[in-house]
Amino acid sequence: MATANLPTSHEHIKPWTPPTFWSIAWKALRRKPSRMLGLGILVFYVLMAVFGPMLYPANLPTNPANIYASPSWAHPLGTDFEGTDVLALIVTGSRYVLYSAGLAAFFTVSIGAILGLVSGYFRGWPEAIIMRIADFFLTVPGFPLLVVLSTVWNFGNPVSMGLVLGLTGWAALARAVRSQTLSLRERSFVEAARGLGLSRRQIVFGEVFPNTAPYVAMHFLLAITGSIYLEVGLFFLGVVPFSTNNWGVMLNLAFSQAGAMYSTRALPYLLSPLFCIMSLTFGIVLFLGAVDEVLNPRLRSV
Amino acid sequence: MSKFFKRIGKRIVAGLVMILAVSSFTFFLVHFMPGNPVQTKLNTLIEEGIPPLQAQAQVRSMYGFIPHQPLYIQYFHYVWQVLHLNLGKSISYSGVPVMHLLLKAMPWTVIMVLTGLAVSFIIGITAGVIASVKRNSKLGDGLLLLSTFLHGIPQFIMALGLAYVFTTIFKIFPFGAPYNAAISPGFTIPFIGSLARHAVLPIAAYAISGFGAWALTMRASVTSVLGDDYILAAELRGVTPSIRLRYIARNAMLPLFTILTLSVGFMFGGSIFIETIFDYPGLGYTINTALAARDYPLMDGAFLMITAAVIIATIVADLLYTVLDPRIQRI
Repeated sequence: MATANLPTSHEHIKPWTPPTFWSIAWKALRRKPSRMLGLGILVFYVLMAVFGPMLYPANLPTNPANIYASPSWAHPLGTDFEGTDVLALIVTGSRYVLYSAGLAAFFTVSIGAILGLVSGYFRGWPEAIIMRIADFFLTVPGFPLLVVLSTVWNFGNPVSMGLVLGLTGWAALARAVRSQTLSLRERSFVEAARGLGLSRRQIVFGEVFPNTAPYVAMHFLLAITGSIYLEVGLFFLGVVPFSTNNWGVMLNLAFSQAGAMYSTRALPYLLSPLFCIMSLTFGIVLFLGAVDEVLNPRLRSV
Repeated sequence: MSKFFKRIGKRIVAGLVMILAVSSFTFFLVHFMPGNPVQTKLNTLIEEGIPPLQAQAQVRSMYGFIPHQPLYIQYFHYVWQVLHLNLGKSISYSGVPVMHLLLKAMPWTVIMVLTGLAVSFIIGITAGVIASVKRNSKLGDGLLLLSTFLHGIPQFIMALGLAYVFTTIFKIFPFGAPYNAAISPGFTIPFIGSLARHAVLPIAAYAISGFGAWALTMRASVTSVLGDDYILAAELRGVTPSIRLRYIARNAMLPLFTILTLSVGFMFGGSIFIETIFDYPGLGYTINTALAARDYPLMDGAFLMITAAVIIATIVADLLYTVLDPRIQRI
């Protein structure tokens, strides 16, 4: 009966399945508590932007008798110079900030990746032209450029804001994608694809692009933080006319209209948008570590 | 050595081409501006009873444009004037040459940005070396987290936060002017003291916002140098820790010059915020006030000047890199 201990069938031996993308992502997140914190912050602000504005009326009530109130149960973050609840302003303002920053990152990444792939794969005159334009946007300081552009283009609504930030911010990504493409196009799998007679569009987007995707995804998150900085800055300076309430408008009003800089009673009004911008940026930076690990297999520890 | 000069020449030509590109950009910007300010100005002058020819001459000296001429002639005229450092005349300071206003604003920006750059460089490098050498301790982790955090904070938030904490909550530093207006300007001790006291917060804002990038890059660079063979060889030769650190620092600093060019652009760009918040009459402040006053020649001039400053700083950084890294010259 020596054979009794040996398995008689293979039923209970699980076939090995490669870990799915989500299980790798979950592992990477769990490795450091700071990454979970970053994800938590991101989810919190996204929920605030999507559902938060539904909780408040379209026009927030003002109350001249209760300006610059200290934080209380009725007004957890106090009130502003018109007596409007600061928490309500923060929540309703988050939608614009996140929506246009997301769009801006989308445009930045799309323009940058496509131009980078085209100039790296096709070389020749497209490369020369695209890279000269990229040099222009890399040299000219971005924020003054946006200020000057605001004189000809009123890009206050979120879609235009996203578009203008994308049109001025793609150059760094295009350069990086181009240099990766230059090396990828000489690899054997691309050569094989050429040999199989795939079309150039299939090679560029089906073979080369997936290999640059990790870098592009990282850049997407970084572009969100950069766009938040630029758009809030534009509203803070009052360069773009105010159409809707957002954190930059709040900072502008706190700084220039309400005289918050000269009195400590407006402390919650000034600090609330500052805190939101900082914590959101911080959340993205923390989350970035996990994304990096998922997308770069070499960083994964066994 | 001739290759060195060739390199300088190439960089200067590239810089000039860039300045031409930026001035073309501002030309077309003013040209396609809604409401066409040049034509509007011309019309109002004619309505005020100024003869058309004289009105044309006035508009021409103001914007550097000649209305009623083909576009390409206007363009070449404009670029020619820019190359001769004639940026037209300001509208809000009626008739004062833009160049004159910019030359007054320039020192504030350049001095503040360069001081901020130097301070952030020194602190960032030191922090980066410490964070790398002590990377398995609490101190290293803390420095890494701090520099990541500071790297993520936008410049104007830093400036606003500093201004609020140190002028409104704790009234340590003065707020809102480059110097105390009660003291007459001059080379006197009270005036220079007042200048320095007012400059602390803006410089701190520049320095802290630039510090993170330096620290993170220096940390990565030192960490990669630490494993190199010549460091091991130096250790085996028995060099003292301070000499070993000097070997490391000298080699690790080279990659930082690529950051320098990025950092310069970032800081000159941020001057809009910092000068507006602290009321410094520099180039960034000029852009912002000129925009509010619809003084487009002044705004374009200040924009061109900031870009030129970035280009010059980039060329200087590139040359410094060539001088400091002998490996480049040999190629």
